[in-house]
Order: sequence, then C-alpha cells, then structure tokens
Amino acid sequence: MKFPHINRRTHLYLGLFLTPWVLMYGVSSIPFAHNDYFEERDKALGVPLWTKTFDGPFDLGPVTESGSLKQLGEPVVRQFKLEDSSYGVYRQGPNQINIYVHTFWKSTQFKYFIDEKRLTAEDRRFRWEHFLTGMHARGGFEDGRFFHTLWAVLIDAVCLAFLAWIASGIYMWWSLPGLRKWGWVAVLAGIGSFSIFLYRL
Amino acid sequence: MYAVSTFVMNHRRLFHGPPPEPPPQYEVERELVYPGEMPEGATPQQVALQLLATLDLDGAHAVARPFTAERVVVNRQDAISPRRITYTAADKKVRVEKMIFSGAGFFERMHRRRGYQHNYVLDDLWAISVDVTIVALILLALSGIWMWWELRVTRRLGALALGAGIGLFCLLAAVL
Repeated sequence: MKFPHINRRTHLYLGLFLTPWVLMYGVSSIPFAHNDYFEERDKALGVPLWTKTFDGPFDLGPVTESGSLKQLGEPVVRQFKLEDSSYGVYRQGPNQINIYVHTFWKSTQFKYFIDEKRLTAEDRRFRWEHFLTGMHARGGFEDGRFFHTLWAVLIDAVCLAFLAWIASGIYMWWSLPGLRKWGWVAVLAGIGSFSIFLYRL
Repeated sequence: MYAVSTFVMNHRRLFHGPPPEPPPQYEVERELVYPGEMPEGATPQQVALQLLATLDLDGAHAVARPFTAERVVVNRQDAISPRRITYTAADKKVRVEKMIFSGAGFFERMHRRRGYQHNYVLDDLWAISVDVTIVALILLALSGIWMWWELRVTRRLGALALGAGIGLFCLLAAVL
C-alpha cells in the first residue's frame, strides 16, 4: 500500500467514525450563533423555563471562603440521587451557593442560602437547543469517571482528526494538478480573510 | 482555529492551571484626562461610545455591570489585544488597559466570538463566516457519506466505522 492510498483511507474511515460528532458540532453551533432568535422563539411560548421541585431546610455545614466548592455540592447531588451526573458549584453571592447538575437530557439548579440553611431545587424544561449546546460545551478530563473521560478523549480525537483532514485534504488536492489553480484561490482567500479578521476584529 | 481552540478548552487544567482560574491580566497602556465633555445625563452606553470614538478604539464592546454614570468600565473586544477602558466622571480620568496576551485565551476568544449583536460590519462578516463554517461542516459530513457510498470497495469497512461511531455516540448520549 502506498502513502496516497493510506492517506485516502485514513481520511475516509476517520471521517465516517467521527461523523456523529462532526454533525453534532455543526448543528449545535446554530443555536450558539443565533441565540437571540432561539430565546425569542422560546419566550413567545410563554412557558416557564424552570420548575421548582424542592424548597426546604438543608444543612451543608460550615461554608468557608477558602473551602472546596465542588465538595460542598456532594451531599446535595447524593441526596437527590444525581451523583451520576456532572455538576458545578458556584458562589452566587456572600450568602448563596448555586449548584448546577447537568446531563444532556436534564438540568437541575440548586440554590443554597447559607444564612437560612435552606435549599431550593429547580428542573429546567427540556429544549432541543439546550440538548445540542450542552453536548457542544461538554468537555474536559476533570470529572474522572469512565464515560466522562471517554467523551473527552473523543473530543481530542475530533480535534486531531480535523487537523488530519486538513493535512490529508491539502495532500489530496495537491495530487490533482487540474484543481491546483482554483485550490490556490480558495486557500489564499481563506488565509487572507482570516488574517484580516485577526488584525481588525 | 476551532480544532486547536477545542483542544485547549478540553485541557483547561493543562493550559490554565488548576481551578479556580485566575482572571485575565491587564497592563496599563495609557492614562489621560478626558479632553471633551460628556453630554448631560448620558447613559453608560452613550459614554462608552463617545469614549471609544475619542480614543480611536471604536468597535465591538460591552459595558461592564453595574451600570453607573460615575464610573463606566468598557470591555473592548479584540482578537489579539482586548482592552478595558475605565472612565471616572468626577475627575474625567480615563485609563486604558490592554490584556496581557495568552495563547489559550486568544484561542478561546476566537472560538466563542459569534453572533450579529454588534453594530459593526466586520463583526457581522465574522458572524457570516461562522454561519458558512457551520453549513460547511454539515455539508462535509453529508458529502463524505455520499462519497463513501459511491466507492463500492470501501462499503463494508466504511459501514463498520460509521456504525461504530453512531453506536458509541448514542451510548454516550444516553449515559452522559
């Protein structure tokens, strides 16, 4: 097998394997790029986005300025049986901690009021654009659990595949002398416009 | 750009260090006393526009909260060197700070820049280029499938690769 053959086959099979991710990143970029349109459309429905499912006493113990916020969220996600989901903990103000629990299908927001030792839980209504943007934004190796890490590894694979498609695409274009002239026009127009954006944007 | 920036964001700890991430660092570029007059009762947004025009920095920007007439902070977007401009009404002082360049920050900014919300032609052109990229991405995937189907010799292995990809994607979509 010669290099051009290996190059074409790698380009093809890598592309086929990663097709769902490429399509997902493409389609999910639409609600990111046109966020105002989707928000207006949803607002027109007149249906609340969040539904309160819990409001009651809850004691997280002493909350210090320097302590790990992530650890503070643990008893809450455990209590609500959401420990399989990924979550983030944020200090909303001196007296409030917010915990966001997210899966591709469901999002729950907890608000812990430190002074009152009170917790509220709200579920977010399912929206397809949230499903897509949630997938798009998911990444990182911080969680450490198997499927979360596998998703992050696949994101790396998609990144490396894009670089490989660019390199192998350029190689295949160069192997077709009949397309060189128009190829140059396309490549230079792309590099030129991107450079202008870099300089002026 | 999107491939490299996604890699950077997927390895946040490697490029930014352990959480919490420090805020971006700025260095003072210039300080001056505003030479003109702000209109009576100008909103922070109007002050920001006048400031940017005077400083020859007109372009995509956002006024930082809280909005007060006494102190207006404008974050001027820029691919390479974003700036923070602080105007204090009492003494008419203007401080222009430039963000210290970081490769990871640059890629993240480029990745996240999108939308038609700014009143500047160049930003609209960038938003159009993002839309073109989206359409191209979807077309590349679909045309790739069509081209594979046209090559009889690769059908079996190709189906295996596509099936494995779809299967793994569905599994992860179900469990994550």
